Amino acid sequence: MIPASGGAAFKRLSPKVIRFARYGCANRPFFHIVVMECIEQIGSFDPLTNKYNEKLVSLNFERIKYWIGHGAIPSTPVAELLGLAGFFPIHPRTYMTAWRNRRANEPRETVEQSPENIAVSNQ
Amino acid sequence: MASVRSKLCKYLTSISCRNCNILFSTNLKSFKNLRYVSSSTKPDDDRDPAPSFFNQDVQQLLKKLTRIDLKKVYRKKKEEQSLESPEYKFLTDEQLNKLLKEFEDKANEKLQMPPVVKIRKDEQKVLDIEPALQGYSDAKFVFTDITYGLSNKERLVVVRDPDGTLREASMQEHCRISQLYVPMLGRQLTPPPMFQEEYLKLLMEQGEYEFILDRACVQFEPDDPEYHRVTQATYDHIDNCCKYETLRSTRHFGPFAFYLAWHKQIDNLVLESIHTDRLDEAVALIQLYHILNPESKSASVAYSGQQVQFVQVC
Repeated sequence: MIPASGGAAFKRLSPKVIRFARYGCANRPFFHIVVMECIEQIGSFDPLTNKYNEKLVSLNFERIKYWIGHGAIPSTPVAELLGLAGFFPIHPRTYMTAWRNRRANEPRETVEQSPENIAVSNQ
Repeated sequence: MASVRSKLCKYLTSISCRNCNILFSTNLKSFKNLRYVSSSTKPDDDRDPAPSFFNQDVQQLLKKLTRIDLKKVYRKKKEEQSLESPEYKFLTDEQLNKLLKEFEDKANEKLQMPPVVKIRKDEQKVLDIEPALQGYSDAKFVFTDITYGLSNKERLVVVRDPDGTLREASMQEHCRISQLYVPMLGRQLTPPPMFQEEYLKLLMEQGEYEFILDRACVQFEPDDPEYHRVTQATYDHIDNCCKYETLRSTRHFGPFAFYLAWHKQIDNLVLESIHTDRLDEAVALIQLYHILNPESKSASVAYSGQQVQFVQVC
């Protein structure tokens, strides 16, 4: 297991990426937000909700600013999370996912309405 | 309660101080209030007690009232730690005095009073409103800043609600999340059931005041409304049962005396100090009352070294 403080050597010319590293157990994901090649852990993300219906995300903003200043590029899910946090502008993928979810919920409502209407009109 | 009231009725007309052989005639105007025991609404909650509490004179008076007894401070306690075998040394008088002084300083440090500050208002500032994010998730996202070296007060915790609003976390959320990521020893994630009304009452009837106050100190921040509720309930109970000895020589006596003086309930404690022949403490308490309530009627009376006359006048 790589320690949370990272274990890789810092190579000046290699591109740095801020992305998720999947930890946790089978059927129980937990992500560390990590500067690749696993130099340092910058945060964590728990995709499963707790008893207060919260998804907990921790972010070490000081180090994120440092690595972005040194040219690190966040991956899309990390960029989405940072957008939701208010650190970045909201990612277009977030808007797309929200729109698609809303559209997926709508036809179900129209379908639910029609059999009810038929039942009411029959009575 | 009835026995306490009858005791106080005896003191209503006169108290005798055995040391000075003098009969004090009392004029307890607030005696009527002693019957109506409730910890609910206190009038002067808008005043900020912090500047008064951290005043040098007030601190001196509170320390005097606490009456540091080294035997009680260093008594045998069950702390669930393995014991070391005791060390015996031969010392000269000088070395012994030096060691005693060191232990007195350590006792002073141990008896540091938990601060009395105003209750913090829960302002959940809204940082962003995005209705277009509705439907993205059914759950809230809680973002915490885990920058190294931040104190819990500076730490930023924001919540993105399912309807798209980005707001600062409420006080309870903030405490819970801070405890998750930067845990403090002894603090639980959610307040233990001990602090609920019925269990708190049971504990207080058993007389476990120090335990309640110690645990409240660890669990809550001093500006938490829950901390104020628990401490007020405890202080009121102690005042009604007149069990001041349980808190003497602990770190909680200072804030307790401050609370009594702030809410103008010093009568019982003054009576108890006179009855146990500690006129200097009665004087200190009345002086504290004058500092905290400068608009009171007897505030103009200055202490000129005559303990007996001072107490009689006030």
